[in-house]
Amino acid sequence: MSNSALLLLQDVLEKPELIDWEWIRENFWEDIVPAFQGHIFLSFVSVAIALVIALPVGVISARYRKVYPPVTFVTGILYSIPSLALFAILISIPGVAIGPSPVIIALVAYSLLILIRNTVAGLDSVPPETIDAARGMGLTNRQILFRVELPLALPIIVAGIRIATVTIIGIATIGAYISGGGLGALIFDGINRQFPTMIIAGAVLATALAITADLLLLGLERYLRPWARVRRT
Amino acid sequence: MLSNILEVFARPDFPEKLREHVVLSLVALLVAVAIAMPVALMIRNTRLGAAIAINIGNVGRAVPSLAILALALPLLGIGFASALVALTALAIPPILINASTGLREVNKDVIDAARGMGLSGGQILARIQLPIAAPVIFAGIRTSAVQTVASATLATFIGGGGLGDLIVEGYSERGPEILLAGAIAVAILAIITEVGFGALERAFTPKGLKIAQKRGR
Amino acid sequence: MKNRTKLIRAVPALLTGLSLLLVVACGNVGGTDSSSGGSSGPTITVGSKDFTEQFILGSMYAQALDANGFNGVAKLDLGSAPIADKALQNGQIDLYPEYTGTSLVEILPYKGNPADLNSPRATYEAAKKLYAKRSPADKMLTPAPFNNTYGIFVRSSVAEKDDLTNMDELAQDSKNLTFISFSQFQNRSDGYPNMQKNYPALDFEEIKIVNNLGLRYSGLQSGEGDVGVGFTTDGQLTSDQLVVMEDPKSIWPFYHPAPVVRSDVLKKYPKVEKVLNEVTASLGLDTMRELNGKVDLDQEDPEDVAKEYLEEKGIID
Repeated sequence: MSNSALLLLQDVLEKPELIDWEWIRENFWEDIVPAFQGHIFLSFVSVAIALVIALPVGVISARYRKVYPPVTFVTGILYSIPSLALFAILISIPGVAIGPSPVIIALVAYSLLILIRNTVAGLDSVPPETIDAARGMGLTNRQILFRVELPLALPIIVAGIRIATVTIIGIATIGAYISGGGLGALIFDGINRQFPTMIIAGAVLATALAITADLLLLGLERYLRPWARVRRT
Repeated sequence: MLSNILEVFARPDFPEKLREHVVLSLVALLVAVAIAMPVALMIRNTRLGAAIAINIGNVGRAVPSLAILALALPLLGIGFASALVALTALAIPPILINASTGLREVNKDVIDAARGMGLSGGQILARIQLPIAAPVIFAGIRTSAVQTVASATLATFIGGGGLGDLIVEGYSERGPEILLAGAIAVAILAIITEVGFGALERAFTPKGLKIAQKRGR
Repeated sequence: MKNRTKLIRAVPALLTGLSLLLVVACGNVGGTDSSSGGSSGPTITVGSKDFTEQFILGSMYAQALDANGFNGVAKLDLGSAPIADKALQNGQIDLYPEYTGTSLVEILPYKGNPADLNSPRATYEAAKKLYAKRSPADKMLTPAPFNNTYGIFVRSSVAEKDDLTNMDELAQDSKNLTFISFSQFQNRSDGYPNMQKNYPALDFEEIKIVNNLGLRYSGLQSGEGDVGVGFTTDGQLTSDQLVVMEDPKSIWPFYHPAPVVRSDVLKKYPKVEKVLNEVTASLGLDTMRELNGKVDLDQEDPEDVAKEYLEEKGIID
């Protein structure tokens, strides 16, 4: 087992043509940086839009429980459609432009399930006694939501944001297939041109971006919940 | 259009694509379990080991699927085998995280009591730690399985076969039937995986835990 | 608690603000797609499909337009033919390079089998007629004088050993060979079924599906297969590692490159047709293969390759 691992390592190291550093130097500002910017743009906008939709829907679902199952059902269905297919379906809708737009729509659709689920779970985790106490203190429902419930639900909500963000960064790489831009463009171009340098550049940067986002949000999660160990599923 | 989609399922190459997809997913999952479980077992009693495993798992979980599949290309070449290696790597993190966490979080008091009763380390593992951790472990396997079925769709980009081939083919077609056929097939496969492993999870949850879960403890 | 409440209030405001900022400020999402000529004059947007020859042709058209009184913008790598066509019809692009045969197979509602059209002219006329009937109407301009059709290529070592020069000989030998193909080719009437119909001895030992053109070539090089299918202008075919099989029965449809432009654009700017035709007429099979090779084998940029070519031909200076 370790013998073949050594052979593989040897093979990899003996392939200097895997990374063409000159290409990287020459095309850094022209190809690599725009791809990176584009990826951040896609991811950020998608997470933002998803939150704008998911938070209110989550709050409503937590309150009016009957709404929750159909909401989970729809967002669950969206989640199980393979991304490549969802992109194609979105493009075929008249009025949807080719480019980042269908990618953003799809990314938003994919992250709704986890964000809504975690919003509801977060709100559910607020002890009823705390809410009663707040009501006893004379706070209105609205004030309770914003000053008590949401703050206490925040750690779980942020956990959901973390998962959604990482998922979005990952699926955004596939968006390049429909001309959506981002680091996936480097990957696909590299595959098409049989040019490993581009593949590696795109793949490594996408991975680094995802891991960085994950760690930053994990830090935020821990900051918001210093008293409890963070449980992962 | 429905009949056109069904026609795609009747195509002679469809069963093969389906088989490729299932084999890719299943083998990747099994190998991932074979790698992750022993690691989780080894570190179950050490705090540092568990922390390392869980952190590696978390980082691994964030890695984009396409990135790993694409990296397999210059390193391992095109084809089924490369895709398999990449998918296996992607399948490990959820299992590692859940198995490690699950085994670590078995209540210390319970383990102490068992030790007090004279049970050996192996017996404690088999009779106490594993059964209690089972639901969490299976939840991790379930997550990994569903994720792997979805990621296997991307194997098409490195010549690995699978239902992704159909979806990519559909991109060059006038009508959506081939694309939808591929998409529906993957979605159904994902749902079957989710439901199937969910049932497995319930089957392996010890009765006592099921009752406790019902009571909401 | 207080800090957290502030955080709650700040978050939506921050998110909305930042996303608005990004939406407004960032048009560029990277990738080898957009480039603007920077000239003055009416903007003509040239699209392209998702492979090397398309990038080169698209760049050529955009740069030629740019040098002739227009602001030529290139939006390359949109995707497959249906996707590029959608961009054309909804106005995102004004034209893109298509192929006569491809349009009949993948875009236009052509009733017959394009492989049955027995001349490049007939293929072009059929496509042109159908394009004109669309809404919005399109015009397929004069095609280039070469055919970028399917090429069945064999690894040189295998071709030498088994003495294979044409499809007939290949079919006889196919029992011992592995064929690397792609899904569309296997399932389309003008693809593999067409091959089998015309060369019935065809019976490959194994057929592997690799949907990416570049990877099919890689696969052949690494020995994953002995025979592959690509296109006759592929740059990789300049290599002596591969031999293209001759097709004595001429079984494939004709795929001559021809730009497809929306008719309303031509009506507004009739000069566009002349500029594009000049570029198209200058091309040839060997030239195209060479240009493709510069991108795929030498890793040059399609835009640079296009520019060099146009300068060489005197179309731009």
